[in-house]
Amino acid sequence: MINMSRSISLGKILESRELLYTLLLISVILPIIHPLGIPIAVSARTKAVYDYIENNLKPGCHVYFEIYYEVAARGELEPNVVALTKHLFDKGCKIVYGSLASFGVIVFELMKTTAADVFQGREYGKDYVFLGYVAGGESAAASLAKSIKGTVSVDNYGNRIENLPLMQEVDKATDFDLVIIASSGTDTFAYYVRQWYTPYNVPLLFAALSIIAPSIEPYVGAKQAVGMLVGQRAGAEYETLVGRLGLGMASMDAQSTSHMLVLVFIVIGNVVYWSQRLSSKRGGGK
Amino acid sequence: MSLVIRKYIPQLIVSVIIVLSVTFYYIYINDSIAKGFSTADKALSDWAVIVTSFALIVGGVDILRFHLTKIRREGIRQAPFSTVTIALLIIMVVLATIGWYYSYADPKAGITITTQPQFRWLYSNLYAPADSAMYSILVFYIASASYRAFRVRNPPALLLLVTAVIVMLGNTTIGGLIWPGFLGLRDWIMTVPNTAAFRPITIGAGLGTIILGLRLLTWREISWMGRRD
Repeated sequence: MINMSRSISLGKILESRELLYTLLLISVILPIIHPLGIPIAVSARTKAVYDYIENNLKPGCHVYFEIYYEVAARGELEPNVVALTKHLFDKGCKIVYGSLASFGVIVFELMKTTAADVFQGREYGKDYVFLGYVAGGESAAASLAKSIKGTVSVDNYGNRIENLPLMQEVDKATDFDLVIIASSGTDTFAYYVRQWYTPYNVPLLFAALSIIAPSIEPYVGAKQAVGMLVGQRAGAEYETLVGRLGLGMASMDAQSTSHMLVLVFIVIGNVVYWSQRLSSKRGGGK
Repeated sequence: MSLVIRKYIPQLIVSVIIVLSVTFYYIYINDSIAKGFSTADKALSDWAVIVTSFALIVGGVDILRFHLTKIRREGIRQAPFSTVTIALLIIMVVLATIGWYYSYADPKAGITITTQPQFRWLYSNLYAPADSAMYSILVFYIASASYRAFRVRNPPALLLLVTAVIVMLGNTTIGGLIWPGFLGLRDWIMTVPNTAAFRPITIGAGLGTIILGLRLLTWREISWMGRRD
């Protein structure tokens, strides 16, 4: 009887949301202030993406980069975008950035400010171009695939597209060696599969939020995309591979401790649940 | 006459476009027809881009109208919230217009809509933290929900718990310290059982799109015209 009341009171304490929330806050903030520095292993999937770029893209190649995530998703996707950009620039690739979302414009600017070292020494118009926001969702993706110059007349900064040296080298989907989609939504990946991969067979590479990745996994399984970087962990792994540790690596400790805390609570929750269940069964038996 | 203009002509245009698009996408007749179709197809996509741009203006006007109506109906209780929304909407549009003006009037200054100082300040210091905070609140909800949901009440619940634990440990660096195999196991769960579960959903969505196309073609789908009758 005493055991039962003890388990009930422990259960009540653990049931209180305030305890979990407080511990969760601590587990997120503390590792950011005092990093644990736990080494990170690179998964086979992230390594496969790195190897694809390393083996298939030659200096002077052209990459189209879709930036489709809001500020809230920066923590998970920006490490991937920055690390991929660094890798592509190091390989001598030229990048055309674009966004099918209005918020992509400001997110790109924020990313450029955060990763100023990555863009240092790269000339705008020759090494990279930012088209800005292109309205129209899937129709815009289809239109860009047919002709960028026929879809947008000026870039994000008001420069005429035809005056930019890089845009004289590329115009349609087949001019690109790789298309990268960094998106916090599910539909964007489908747009590019339908409008860029299926008609033109352009290799696609995905960078997705952990919560979105499961739903777009079939595209990767069907080889409609060459690979996928999933969430913050993949960002941290890619940062390790390209040798520029940033936001991804910095927040991995916080992700690890918060995940572990939730796991501990799941275990405790089950112990309390089963002890209550067994006690009530014993009580009922008597 | 009005019924013809309001209902039959739009439906006829949609049906003709569907038939032509599907026909010329799958059937190759000769180079000139293929090129002609490609040009027409591109023009249609461009129209969609233009229409969407105008839809953004309609959206802005609609927000304004919605909040003005709300203030009128609910009075002082709603006024502070709606006033802030309307004020920020107007401020952002004005600042963006200034940025847009400078991008053409003085291109050397490097000021565009997104780099206009006050626009950027408001976005980075007001919108961005609020947006991030809203998203971050999810962590408490998910933590609380998972702690309550992952109770081993029966064998399927145990299977769900084990899968969740493997994926969570695979996502952490601590998991790798406990057992390096968690990472490979997580990838296997994502690429094999998860894909198997999601593939039928993807195929189902594809079939749904085809059915929607057929309904549009046969004039059974009319909700896109803004009415159900």
